[in-house]
Amino acid sequence: MLDLALLDFLFTSKVQVLEMTQPAIETRALTRKFGNTVAVRDLSLRVRRGEVFALLGPNGAGKTTTVRMLSCLIRPSAGTALVAGNDIIQDALKIREVVGLLPENPGLYPELSAYYTLDFYAKLYGVPASERKRRIRDLLELLGIWERRNEPVGRFSRGMQQKVAIARALVHDPEVLFLDEPTASLAPESAKVVREFIRKLRRKGRTILLCTHNLHEAEQLCDRVAILKTSLLTVGSPTELEREFGTQRVEIQLKRITARILQAVRRIGGVRKVKRGKRTLTVEVDDSSEVNPRIASAIVKAGGKIVWMKQASSLEEAYLKVVEST
Amino acid sequence: MRMDRVWTIARKDIASARKHRYVLYGLIGIPLIFAVLIPLSMLYPVLLGEQITENDLPSFAVPGLEPKQAMALGLVQMSVLMFMLLPAIIPSVISSYTFVGEKVNRQLEPLLATPTTDAELLVGKLMGAFVPAMLSTLISFAGFVVIVDALTFPLFGRLLLPDWISLVVLLVFCPLVGLAATSFCVVISAKVSDVRAAMQLGALSVLPPMGFYFLFTAGIVRLNWLSIVIFGALLACLSVGLLALGRARFGREEILVRWR
Repeated sequence: MLDLALLDFLFTSKVQVLEMTQPAIETRALTRKFGNTVAVRDLSLRVRRGEVFALLGPNGAGKTTTVRMLSCLIRPSAGTALVAGNDIIQDALKIREVVGLLPENPGLYPELSAYYTLDFYAKLYGVPASERKRRIRDLLELLGIWERRNEPVGRFSRGMQQKVAIARALVHDPEVLFLDEPTASLAPESAKVVREFIRKLRRKGRTILLCTHNLHEAEQLCDRVAILKTSLLTVGSPTELEREFGTQRVEIQLKRITARILQAVRRIGGVRKVKRGKRTLTVEVDDSSEVNPRIASAIVKAGGKIVWMKQASSLEEAYLKVVEST
Repeated sequence: MRMDRVWTIARKDIASARKHRYVLYGLIGIPLIFAVLIPLSMLYPVLLGEQITENDLPSFAVPGLEPKQAMALGLVQMSVLMFMLLPAIIPSVISSYTFVGEKVNRQLEPLLATPTTDAELLVGKLMGAFVPAMLSTLISFAGFVVIVDALTFPLFGRLLLPDWISLVVLLVFCPLVGLAATSFCVVISAKVSDVRAAMQLGALSVLPPMGFYFLFTAGIVRLNWLSIVIFGALLACLSVGLLALGRARFGREEILVRWR
């Protein structure tokens, strides 16, 4: 006899597995034209659930257009996409319920208070009255603006306004978050706070699609990046792109550089080139995650004392190589 | 259409508009002029002045009455018609901030990203300008009625207002003018990128009521059922036409891509 409870369990489990494995965002040949100009051409990519994914590209590469299509603000000219399992053409309203958007410009109402602003958007997102207060308080406290909640946001600094805009994008606890240049035009300390907040969201497993010009930021925050210039040029983790298109370099400062140390480093497999400075060695390697520990070990064995050792960023190099090759 | 979302948008626009100095002046100052200054400045000289003869009567004076009564009633009717200007002026002031202002300051994108339909957004925005305009008009009219009745009671021995003409103007024409003015503002929002320019263009909304007003003062039109029905029908057509035009221009895609 068929066990209905077992069937139900199996079915539910299968649905759950599907939900877990289904990407948060999947675009299929997504294209958008404005008149004769193609802003985005045949974009196909998958963003996994819980992933922080960056769209990199020069101005006019189609990053904002892509975000606008995915948040159902504009329709694609061709192709389609699924966001949180919903079709951007068929289920636009449903998608808007489950995504949060931080546009390039915060677009706040300067005359209204931070609390009123969040309350207004929470109502439009259909957050139940019983949850609204708590959620707004949690967000404002987390971002350190609860004490100033009743002040018009026009009196806030640019960094604080950006925090309110981020809180607005999160007020309905969205599954997917689109952040368009979240730290652009922010002072370094404000940018740092925003980046830290994005890290917190990442730890909580939120899916984030980030548009940025800041390669260092992309490298620090993102699991994977896509380089876009109307069409998708490449996609991968920052390390993968560095490995494929850039040069991986490690900089090591030593108390003293001896010939023995130099020789030991040069002998390590995977070391391409060693450049000697006064007290610094710059070493080009094939795969830093594999070779760096061996370099450290060889230096110590050769009697060297390491002051510091840091991986030099080469995503920028990889990015420029990819963009300029088109 | 989910009315709670519509009202949320309208209430936000009202709260936002109230914080703008010029809007506040418009919401309080203009209705005050209509309620107090217009009846006093129009009726007081007539009521206190010397006896009027039949030959002194202007074309808008109401026939079949004593000359002074005819003159006074004509002036009251003229003032009542002027009330149609209020729902034309006020929404254009508010909408200039809530449509063009929000567009220029790029405040529309986060709003468009919310799970509201285009129709809910449009109606919410229209209500945000329409409701305060109508409330101001109603309150102003109540003050106007009290002042007019207080001034004219000794001359007529009865309360002149509210009469059927004033009620038609207030409850039918004013809402239609308000609707046309707010819809017109949506239409011009798509083309204008400056709040002041929007206000100036929005002021064109006063043309239909002004037209009717001048036809009346020139004696070309008399206030009777026929003229009221014809004007009402024209106004309704204009309002519905502008609303349809506004609706056609008020879509997410349209706003983000084509609004300049």
